Amino acid sequence: MEMKFQHMFKKTVTKPVKSGDSDRPEVPDGLLKKCNACKAAVFVEEVRNNYYICPHCCNYFRVHARRRVEMIADQNSFQEWDSDVVSDNPLQFRGYEEKVKVLQEKTKLNEAVLTGKAAINGIPVVLGICDGRFLMASMGEAVGEKITRAVERATEERLPVILYACSGGARMQEGIVSLMQMAKTSAALKRHSDAGLLYISVLTDPTTGGVTASFAMLGDIILAEPNALIGFAGPRVIEQTIGQKLPKGFQRSEFLLEHGFIDGIVEREQQREVLGKILKMHQKKTVNTLPHEKCRELLDQAFQPEKPLQEMSAWEHVQLARDKERPTGSDYIQYLFTDFVEMHGDRYYGDDRAVIGGIAFFQGQPVTVIVQEKGHGTKENIAHNFGMVSPEGYRKSLRLMKQAEKFGRPVICFVDTPGAFCGLEAEERGQGEAIARNLYELSALKVPILSVVIGEGGSGGALALAVADEVWMMEHSIYSILSPEGFASILWKDSKKAKEAAKVMKLTAADLKSLGIVEQVIREEEFLTKENLVETAEKLELGIQAFLSEYQSMSGEALAQHKYERFRKM
Amino acid sequence: MIRKLLIANRGEIAVRIIRACREMGIETVAVYSEADKDSLHAQLADEAICIGPAPSSESYLNMERIMSATLVSGADAIHPGFGFLSENARFAEFCEQCGVTFVGPDSRVIQNLGNKQVARNTMVAAGVPVIPGTDKPVMDVETGLQEAQRIGYPVIVKAALGGGGKGMRTAYQPEEFALAFQTAQKEAQMAFGDGTMYIEHYVEHPRHIEFQILADSQGNVIHLGERDCSIQRNHQKMVEESPSIAVSEELRRKMGEAAVKAAKAAHYVNAGTIEFLLEKNEKFYFMEMNTRIQVEHPVTEWVTGIDLVKEQIKIASGMPLSLTQEDVVIRGHAIECRINAENPAKNFRPCPGTIRELHFPGGQGIRVDTDIYAGYTIPPYYDSMVAKLIVHGDTREDAIAKMQSALGEVIIEGIDTNVDFQFEIISDPVYQSGDFDIEFLSGFSSAE
Repeated sequence: MEMKFQHMFKKTVTKPVKSGDSDRPEVPDGLLKKCNACKAAVFVEEVRNNYYICPHCCNYFRVHARRRVEMIADQNSFQEWDSDVVSDNPLQFRGYEEKVKVLQEKTKLNEAVLTGKAAINGIPVVLGICDGRFLMASMGEAVGEKITRAVERATEERLPVILYACSGGARMQEGIVSLMQMAKTSAALKRHSDAGLLYISVLTDPTTGGVTASFAMLGDIILAEPNALIGFAGPRVIEQTIGQKLPKGFQRSEFLLEHGFIDGIVEREQQREVLGKILKMHQKKTVNTLPHEKCRELLDQAFQPEKPLQEMSAWEHVQLARDKERPTGSDYIQYLFTDFVEMHGDRYYGDDRAVIGGIAFFQGQPVTVIVQEKGHGTKENIAHNFGMVSPEGYRKSLRLMKQAEKFGRPVICFVDTPGAFCGLEAEERGQGEAIARNLYELSALKVPILSVVIGEGGSGGALALAVADEVWMMEHSIYSILSPEGFASILWKDSKKAKEAAKVMKLTAADLKSLGIVEQVIREEEFLTKENLVETAEKLELGIQAFLSEYQSMSGEALAQHKYERFRKM
Repeated sequence: MIRKLLIANRGEIAVRIIRACREMGIETVAVYSEADKDSLHAQLADEAICIGPAPSSESYLNMERIMSATLVSGADAIHPGFGFLSENARFAEFCEQCGVTFVGPDSRVIQNLGNKQVARNTMVAAGVPVIPGTDKPVMDVETGLQEAQRIGYPVIVKAALGGGGKGMRTAYQPEEFALAFQTAQKEAQMAFGDGTMYIEHYVEHPRHIEFQILADSQGNVIHLGERDCSIQRNHQKMVEESPSIAVSEELRRKMGEAAVKAAKAAHYVNAGTIEFLLEKNEKFYFMEMNTRIQVEHPVTEWVTGIDLVKEQIKIASGMPLSLTQEDVVIRGHAIECRINAENPAKNFRPCPGTIRELHFPGGQGIRVDTDIYAGYTIPPYYDSMVAKLIVHGDTREDAIAKMQSALGEVIIEGIDTNVDFQFEIISDPVYQSGDFDIEFLSGFSSAE
């Protein structure tokens, strides 16, 4: 059955509609604009009040440099620098000067980057922000000069630098002079870094060409906005060159994160907060140190067992160390530190989820924290590769430890791995080299390193995070040359003899303490889980406090010497 | 005068508005979602424009698309109906910015009345009674006791961050106050981590009485009497009537005057509704003002003889009211039952589907406002109301008898409806006695 609506007497009027009606309603100019991603009309004001994000599809609109300053800096804190620097058309390129003049009028900027000094949460910082309206913020002489001057002045005034990149790359109209800006800006940043100062690079859509291959990729910390195009060669150029279509998501922020080139993706709403937090973590602070005796007293207080350590077989220890309920590295991060900011990537190949690293506060003091993470439950286990670290993981750890050294931050590691990842790809990318490099570099690191074995300390995979000033073990953790199964298999050609192997290997915390391999054993009052970690974490906190008080009073050279001697006598 | 009107709505209210326009010689433009292409409002209008996919956020709530349809069709006005964008100040402002007449009040008025605190302050300043309460947060029992004394018992203590009935306690006399306050505060502390409290007069077993007003752009404001909407389930009105059995001639005058005062204080223009809570002792308190046409407007139309939608359009066109307060006479008694596609036996679960057979009652004193027809498939995306059955009789008893008869005649096959449930309400002795309040349905057990 269907309704016959055409039979309905429904037409209202037949008056002809007047055309060209002057007071015909229309949308006034500037009220709406179109989102390039979803093609919907959106209110300009709504977009402006929402960090220039499309309310329909969450696409990011490009942001003018001055709006960007308003979004991240404290109100009225920005003082512009070098607003008179302009390019003098080095190639005498025809029509270039006129073009620049038009853009200067339109953007009210002298060039494609805005530089100056501002404050974020009260912390002074030098800002440089590219403005895409100005010839796609390509880097000519003036852009390079402004960035260089800003970085030089930051070095002089000992200030951190934040650069927001958004650029098509080199400026064609300035040819080879534009190319030289890559070297000039990089050189300025090298001096800034050598002065021990912080540089945060924020990559926005698009960051390509000569800008990617210079200042954009040189941050101590590199952040990116979601879904930003970031690459050296543009996707169109690559497609034409190789004659293939590029996969979806290629050269986007998420792709770079996966490939280890950026520390994190931060949404616009959070950028101010995240930048403020990172700046705070890099402020110079006076550290409380205590005399040696006092520290020892504190350590005794923290770790003196109320009852003697539990009598159990080595194999029982192995099983407890591997228990699925046992707290993992990230649980310790949660209990012991605040404001943890995770840093991703090795800057070479990838981001290994078997290692989680970053900066956090320990009792108000910034520290670098690195953990080997197994995850809870099968899904997480797989995501973290059961804590089996790949070369990327070791290279990420080393990168973060070198960064800690640059900023004089202590490093605290939590070791929990069955062993370094054993696989084709790991060998292809140099598993052995990666571990060796860590041992080599860590042995002379000029900041205190504390390593705590919390579960399995499997072989070289564990040692790469345990070349430290002190190594501590949880009572039911193990630390060994390899797994008891492997040991039995090599020595007795029978991996089923793991139980016997565990007994002879001397892999328990108590054994290792008496062998002088580790300094402290932390008593576990009960079967340790994520839920009851809090009490043990309190003891650990007291211990770490004592460790930091003692070792932070030592000079960098003394710390390197201490590490050397620690292993020299083994 | 408005020449061509776009209806930014769907369902029976869109049909209702299109009918008024036809009678007034105004061209109509319907907008519809992809799920509504077979709907009556899209068929009935002179033009119909599809504005997007089924979800409201992408169609009936999408301002940019509705405005595009308006400009493309050459309409010079938008009627928002109820729900959707009808009380969205930003949308009204958008219409103003584009030079489109919005059939409703000014965007700033919507904004102010939509903000509970601003609305309350406006009413207090205008001398309209509001529920007495504390202006400042209360943290301790001693201050609370003094405030409770000033406010008048019974009082209710509420957590500032409250919700879901947590951190809420009533006290009927000073002796009970300390315990009530401490319990509520402890609960609030536990649930929200904050012990900031407010104290308010507890309006016990009130009736929901609302006044219809009309205001023109020349500053004339009249009221068209009240509607009693106390029969509610989870704040959803089910049965409405006018006049209210609880409102005497004298009280109507007093409340009506307050309603007019409220509308004037808000600088209101167009049709609006002022909601009051009415206590047994005839004290009444302003709750909020609805800045749109109401679902239950037909009961007022019937007892006053005034077509509210036509009045809305005339006011929006800048015409003055054609009547004064003296011209408004309440004649007889009207009742409306909302017919919903829902299953009362299964906790009123919505029940979209295809209507196989359909019969609605007719005859003297019976009105059906609906958008469904035989063969129509109710889409699952929107409100479950499919029809409004309205009756009119000389007395409340006549109206009840007529509603019973009319409900008995309704046949809607293919979907579950609440028709039988409505019949039980109307047949209930307490309902018939008129001695009910907003708690009526929470104590009501269906005969099934």
